Amino acid sequence: MLDAFVQGLLVVLQWQTFLVMLLGIVLGFWVGLLPGLGGSTTLALMLPFIYKMTPVEAFAFLLGMHSVVSTTGDITSVLFGVPGEGTTAATILDGHAMAKKGEAGRALGAALMSSLVGALVGAFALALAIPVVRPLVLTFGAPELFMLAVVGIAFISSLSGQGGRALLRGFLAGLLGLLIALVGQDPQAGVQRFTFSQLYLWGGLDLIPVLVGLFAVPEIVDLAVRGTSIAGELPQGNLGKGAWEGVKDTFRHFWLTIRCSLIGTFIGIIPGLGGGVAQWIAYGHAVQAARDSKEREGFGKGDVRGVLGPGAANNSKEGGALIPTIAFGVPGSSAMAILLGAFFLQGLAPGPDMLDKHLTLTFSMVWTMVIANIITVATSFFFLNQLAKLTLVRGAVLIPFILFLAFIGSYTSNNHLGDLIVFLFFGFLGYFMIRCNWPRAPLVLGFVLGKIAENNFYISTIRYGSSWLLRPVVLILVLLTLIVIVYPAIRLGKRRSAPSEKTA
Amino acid sequence: MKSVFNLRFLLALAVAIIAGYALYASLYWPFRTALFPRVIGVPLLALSLVEMLLCLVSAEKAREGHAVDFEMTMDVDPLVARKRTLAIFSWTLGFMALILLFGFTLAVPLFVFLYLKLAGKEGWVLSLSMTALSWLTMEGLFNRLLHLPFPEGWLFSLWT
Repeated sequence: MLDAFVQGLLVVLQWQTFLVMLLGIVLGFWVGLLPGLGGSTTLALMLPFIYKMTPVEAFAFLLGMHSVVSTTGDITSVLFGVPGEGTTAATILDGHAMAKKGEAGRALGAALMSSLVGALVGAFALALAIPVVRPLVLTFGAPELFMLAVVGIAFISSLSGQGGRALLRGFLAGLLGLLIALVGQDPQAGVQRFTFSQLYLWGGLDLIPVLVGLFAVPEIVDLAVRGTSIAGELPQGNLGKGAWEGVKDTFRHFWLTIRCSLIGTFIGIIPGLGGGVAQWIAYGHAVQAARDSKEREGFGKGDVRGVLGPGAANNSKEGGALIPTIAFGVPGSSAMAILLGAFFLQGLAPGPDMLDKHLTLTFSMVWTMVIANIITVATSFFFLNQLAKLTLVRGAVLIPFILFLAFIGSYTSNNHLGDLIVFLFFGFLGYFMIRCNWPRAPLVLGFVLGKIAENNFYISTIRYGSSWLLRPVVLILVLLTLIVIVYPAIRLGKRRSAPSEKTA
Repeated sequence: MKSVFNLRFLLALAVAIIAGYALYASLYWPFRTALFPRVIGVPLLALSLVEMLLCLVSAEKAREGHAVDFEMTMDVDPLVARKRTLAIFSWTLGFMALILLFGFTLAVPLFVFLYLKLAGKEGWVLSLSMTALSWLTMEGLFNRLLHLPFPEGWLFSLWT
């Protein structure tokens, strides 16, 4: 095993393999920066190029590309408030807010370093879990997936803000997101729901135009209203020093970063939850980590922990998602489904052989993820000052480009003009939500989890009747849901009672 | 303040209408198809009505209602802010119209140029170089390299 582990590193470091991996990294770097052009699309586009490669080269190329997409996606999210990837939208909430406070360097440093930590945790989990993951994945059937979606939805209470009114609006946004997730063909009877006889809506709404609209448009409007650069008239100081501060932040909140990485890995391992979920649950967890209500109020307005959580989770999930793909041929996400195609193109069958006959190849994938992320983060740090200086460019010059990226990003998700209408609709909705103090994160959480919850609920009831409610993991997840809902209130109550006890 | 109050009420009203519509539409669906829309629609309608009521009867405390989200800039004169908001929304819709009329390949450089010259009041050199850059990105990256299928503009489809 150790031999294969070392061999895996050596084959990645062979010059041909290393070169194709570098090529993949460069592609992934740019794909991550461009909104809408997702990692999955690029993986699909690059599949024909691996025919003439050896398996090690092919996976170094594809994984090198795919594993850095989320890392650089964070850069676009922080700098422009436009999600570079669907999986990096949560970084906008605090990352872009920091950029507007003149802390772009710090936000980027934190995003990149937490991404690296996340990627390393994911890769480490992949290396460790391959021999033992089978029982875990087999434990998670439809009932458990349904309950996991419920746990995610329960995070709405953490993402809503302070006070009863904020909670009310958080639940309103979350329920609206759940309802929006139901647009399209009902998976049970094939009945059209809220499609208004439009073929485009049959498959439901795509995540990308929804996210780009919700997050980019309010930021563009705010930039236009202020009439300044993204960072405004604030003194900038040394941006490079800020980046170093972001790196230190990662280690100041190291356990939070590790916990969020583990959340990402776990969600990645479970097939069917998708990449969009991990970042929001990690963000919800980061908000929960706030010590008091004052600290919690800082989230969404530039708290570095709001960058660290999603940054770590959206990278660690890649390692997690590879586990069921390699071990059983069960893809954990759409990108992994495409990667599965690469296995077949290379004449490989995922499963026990990957843990025995092709163990060196499997470990070469682990090393590719590690090396690709280290190279990307190190390279990004070289350009960080230049990148962060984009926040000093006049708004009037940036706005047409941000709008261009937002429109093109939305369009490329389905190559359909309907995406642009969805983008505009959610852009207006996002703007009004911000104006009216409605949080956007619960809406996204509801939207991402709605379909997963409905599908798995029906599969559970058809397959198990009501007995699924008594499955041990389901009961544990019910308990976890209650903890997620009640814990912030208990913690707040304790903090409130502490000063009163002191005064008594 | 009054306009924000109205906006909050209107947003809650819009959500109530959506929830009402969802519940109404679900009346015609089989039970399984309708279950989730109903389970979500009923509390959504109830909570949006509560929010509407609260908007009408109670003033919001300063620390209440803070979302875990960013807040719009408040240090710009409201009249100027409104004017700029309307302007940027018009530009956004205008960009959409340009895409529909001319197709992406022409609309992008055209929009970049018009925005920089008219809204940004930038100089010719910057406007033209940015326009060229946007065209290069569009044509080089999205058209030639990635072969993305951009639809033809309506004007050109009328032509052919």
